[in-house]
Parts: sequence; C-alpha cells; structure tokens
Amino acid sequence: MKNLLKALVLVLLLTLVGCGDSANVGDNEYGCEVLNVYNWGEYIGEDVIANFEDEFNVSVNYSLFDSNEAMYTKVLGGTHYDVLIPSDYMIERMIDEDLLQPLDKSIITNMDLLYEGTLNKPYDMDNTYSIPYFWGNVGIVYDKTIVDPSDVENEEWEVLKNEKYAGQIYMYDSERDSFMVALKALGYSMNTTNEDEIQEAYEWLVDLQKTMAPAYATDEAIDGLIYGEKAMGVMYSGDAAYILSENENMAFYAPEKMGTNYWNDAMVIPKDAECPGLANEFINYILTYEASYDNTATVGYASANAEVFEDMANEGGMYEGNPAFKPRPQNEKDEVFANIEEVRELISELWIKVKNS
Amino acid sequence: MKSFRRLVYPYLVWAIIFIVLPMLMIVFYAFTAEGNSVMTINFTLENFWRFFSDSIFINVLLRSLKLALITTLICILIGYPSAYFMAKLKSNSQGVMVLLITLPMWINMLVRTYAWRGLLLESGLDPEIKVYIGMIYNFLPFMILQIYTSLSKLDQSLIVAAHDLGCDNKKAFLKVTLPLSIPGIISGITLVFLPAVSSFFIPKLLGGGSYVLVGNLVENYFVTTGDWNFGSAISLIMTIVILISMYFTRKFDYSKEDR
Repeated sequence: MKNLLKALVLVLLLTLVGCGDSANVGDNEYGCEVLNVYNWGEYIGEDVIANFEDEFNVSVNYSLFDSNEAMYTKVLGGTHYDVLIPSDYMIERMIDEDLLQPLDKSIITNMDLLYEGTLNKPYDMDNTYSIPYFWGNVGIVYDKTIVDPSDVENEEWEVLKNEKYAGQIYMYDSERDSFMVALKALGYSMNTTNEDEIQEAYEWLVDLQKTMAPAYATDEAIDGLIYGEKAMGVMYSGDAAYILSENENMAFYAPEKMGTNYWNDAMVIPKDAECPGLANEFINYILTYEASYDNTATVGYASANAEVFEDMANEGGMYEGNPAFKPRPQNEKDEVFANIEEVRELISELWIKVKNS
Repeated sequence: MKSFRRLVYPYLVWAIIFIVLPMLMIVFYAFTAEGNSVMTINFTLENFWRFFSDSIFINVLLRSLKLALITTLICILIGYPSAYFMAKLKSNSQGVMVLLITLPMWINMLVRTYAWRGLLLESGLDPEIKVYIGMIYNFLPFMILQIYTSLSKLDQSLIVAAHDLGCDNKKAFLKVTLPLSIPGIISGITLVFLPAVSSFFIPKLLGGGSYVLVGNLVENYFVTTGDWNFGSAISLIMTIVILISMYFTRKFDYSKEDR
C-alpha cells in the first residue's frame, strides 16, 4: 500500500513538473490560463493556435463541431466556451435567444482589414456580436468529362434531377441546405415560412430521391468527388475549391439565375465566456494578415481579410484561377440564411420523410 | 467476505451517475413538452402519439428491427459452425483461432467500417446489402466467441454416453450438443442484437445517408432539430422494444433449462 502511495505521489509530481514547462501560462493582462475555442473541423491554419498561445501566454483549448446545431446543443448544455465560429442563421438565433455578448471594439482594432462584402449582413446588421471568419456560396461541383457543362449552366439546380445523371449525384445531408436547393429551384426564398412553398420543396426533394437515387453526404462527398465515386454534388465553395485543386476534371458552378446561399461563418463570444477579454484578442488576432493567410492557405475557404482574399485569388496566388475559391459576388437572387424558428421542426420532419421515401 | 462488499460501491456510484440518472432524464424529457426550458413543465403523451401516428417512424422502427434480426440470424448461421469446428480442434490450434477472430477487433470499429466503405465503393451493390455486410462483419466475432466458449466447456463424456445409448452423430448433436450450447447462443444474441438494433454509424457510412434507422432518428432529433423531448421518446420506445425482446430470449433460455 505504501508503495502504491509513493507511486501515486510520484505521478502527481511528474504531472506538475510537466505543467512547469509553460511556467508563464496565464501571464497575460487578462489573467486567463485557458481560452476555450470551438470551431468547425478542418477550419484553421496549422500554426494559428500555437502562435496565438505564444503571443498571449495562454493555453488554447481547441475543440471541434460538425454542425451548427451540434454546436448549439453543446453550448446550451452548459459547456463554457470563449469563442465560437457558427454560421449566419445560427448567430441570428443565438442573438435572438440572448446567448451572445457584444464584442469589445476597443480591443478588435483590425476591423478595417475586413472585406467589405462580408460586413453588415442581415443576421447581425452592424456586426455588434460577430466578426466574419470565412465566407462563400454553395454550388454544384461536377466532373467535366461526364457531365456536360452546358447542362449545369442552363438547368442550374434542376440538373440534379436530369435523369441522364441518375445515380451519379451527392445531395448535401443537411435539411437546411437541401431545402435551400429545392426552394431556389422552385423560385422561392430559401428563408420562406410559407408552408405551401415548403411542401412543394418537399415534393421536389422526394421526386429527386425517387428518380435519381442520390447519396446523402457532407464531408464524405469531398473524397467521393475527388476519387470519382460520383460525378456531381452540392458543395460549399471552399470544399469545392479543395476538390478542384485535387482533381483537374472537376468544375464548379454556383447557380446565378436561380440564386444560391451566400453564407458567412463568423466569430462570436457567448454570454457566459470565462475570459471575454482574451476572446476579443483572439478574434482580433485571426483578422491579422498572418493568421488569415494561414487559415485560407490550409483550408481553402475565402478569407474575410480583404488583402489575403485578393492575394490568394489574384495572379501568383495559391488559388489563382480556381473558380470555387473566389465566390461570385452576391447577386439579387442570392440570400443569406435567416433563422426561421416557426418552420424549423416542419423542415426537420419533412427531411426525414424525404430520406425515407 | 463482508469487507469485500464495499468494493462494489465505486461501481454503484458510477452506475447511478452514468446509467440511472441519464435514464431518468430521458424518461422525464420523453413525457414533457417545450424544449430546453425546464421552467415550464408540461407532462404530455404527445411525443409518443407523434411517433405511433406516423407511418414513417413506424417504418424506421421496423426496418431497424429487421436489420438487427437478420444480422443476428446470419451471425448464428455462420457463427455456430465456425465455433463448432473451432471447439473440435486441438487446444493449441484453438488458441490460434481465437486470436485470429479477435485480431480485427484490435483495430477501431470506425476505421474498419471506413475500410469497408472503400472496398465496396465501386461494387455497385445496393446500399442495403452494403449495410448488411458491414453489420455482419462487425458483429460476427461476438457471436462466434460466445458459442465457442459454451461449446469448448462441453463435457465430451456426455457425447460418448449418447453414442453408447444408440444415438448417431446427428442425433447426439441435436439431443446433447445443441441444447447445451443454447446459453452461448443466447448471450451471442444479446451481444449482437442489442448493439445492432441501435447502431447508427455503420448504416450511415455504408448506406449512403439514405438508410435511416432508429439510431439515426435519435441522433437527428437531439443534434440537428434540438427536439430533446421527441428524441427522448424515441429512445425510450427503443429501450422498451429491447427490454421486451430480451425478456423473450431469456424466457426461451430458461424454458430450455427446465427440461
């Protein structure tokens, strides 16, 4: 028994010594030892966290989510985070539910570096609560050797129901995104709360399920398209940019006449953040050229930092000539997702029915 | 002996925190309405009514049961002969065989299922068949090992006695070996049927997202829709279905033993 105790004490001591490596953790003006950041998977540059940790003598506890809803559930479940990076409609919902705190603009001094097109969007009209991180739109990635580009450009979203390509398509396995496609194809707003329109969109999706036998996938579709498992898929622009850079047969088209989803993912600070000061510093740090460049170079999504965005897309840039990296400017048919509370459950239930039809 | 009883406390505490409390919370959520605000508690049967009044949900439940049932049956059909021949081998070879069966389990189930995804990618098989392949592959070792354990413990003199009393091989197997290995089959069923009926990852990965099972429903309602009440009701219905099926398998087991 005594030996066991000794061993335990030894282990404890070793752990303490281990911590001693970074003796000055917490030695920043906010006195925080840990900053909890909650972000999408595969959504940050390789050195961003490490560099921030060095600069502010803090240890960043970096965790990942794979959907806005999963993130929301976790936050509501009482886990404390200092910085979250959700999408537009989820930010709107969290503002409505009073879950976020206003940002401290005296700390976030890099706001003027932001690309103007990403600011003052309807989910947070004057960016009181959120600072853009990545942005883009949604379109169709297709294999030029199998799918006729003129089919995609003429039929836009309806090409997903072109029976020539039955069995060859990926639908996005998320209710909001799939209903966006259907509603846009029918010429309705993707933020509609009109139940008849939603019902029509549901029938559009059921028809697609029955005639095209699509595979429903999210991130799995990325590899699937690169390796030619299917010939066409609904894709977020940043993932599309990655697919295009890996497989030269692939092309990207964001429907213009029908319009598409023009999205923003942005950084916010929850009300119950334990270290809001440093959280603001983190947001400010992400806006710097260095961090934004690292993010975009690693992930492939369009940066909210104007200079980084231009450098990447222009001549000599990493994504020069990659049509998916530089999202088409928002046109009048494009929309930003709004939080549509009253039909959220209806859409959710219809989506299960689509997949079971 | 009495002092050892205290050793059970850690498990008791663990069980209360991680099994009993969550279960109570699920029951609570299942019988209430109105989202996550616990301020207003409305007791209701609405969630259950919603499940049973919609053929979609019933179909999903039936499909899950069918998948689990067929998986279990095929596992028995493949597993029993394998276990039988394993038990007949020399004891050295038996060890090797057990090792070979457990070997794949050293690799995480997720990784193996991803491997299957790659293998079946260009097979052109129906998604449903792919799901069955993945399920049977993942659960077969549990069945084989359970049956093998009960067969290897079998007293060989019983079979010799059966032969002495005039049974041929077939009759000796049916009258002696099979009945005595029933407990192995039962625990095999428990280990295969239960996880199979609530599995959601294998169908999701191999079925191309269009193969919805009860597990996927629960995940969807908790994570995506955020409707914890309905999600809890579905899990509770699932739990009850499992309890009923367990009751019948156990009963079958006992009635065999009584004879």
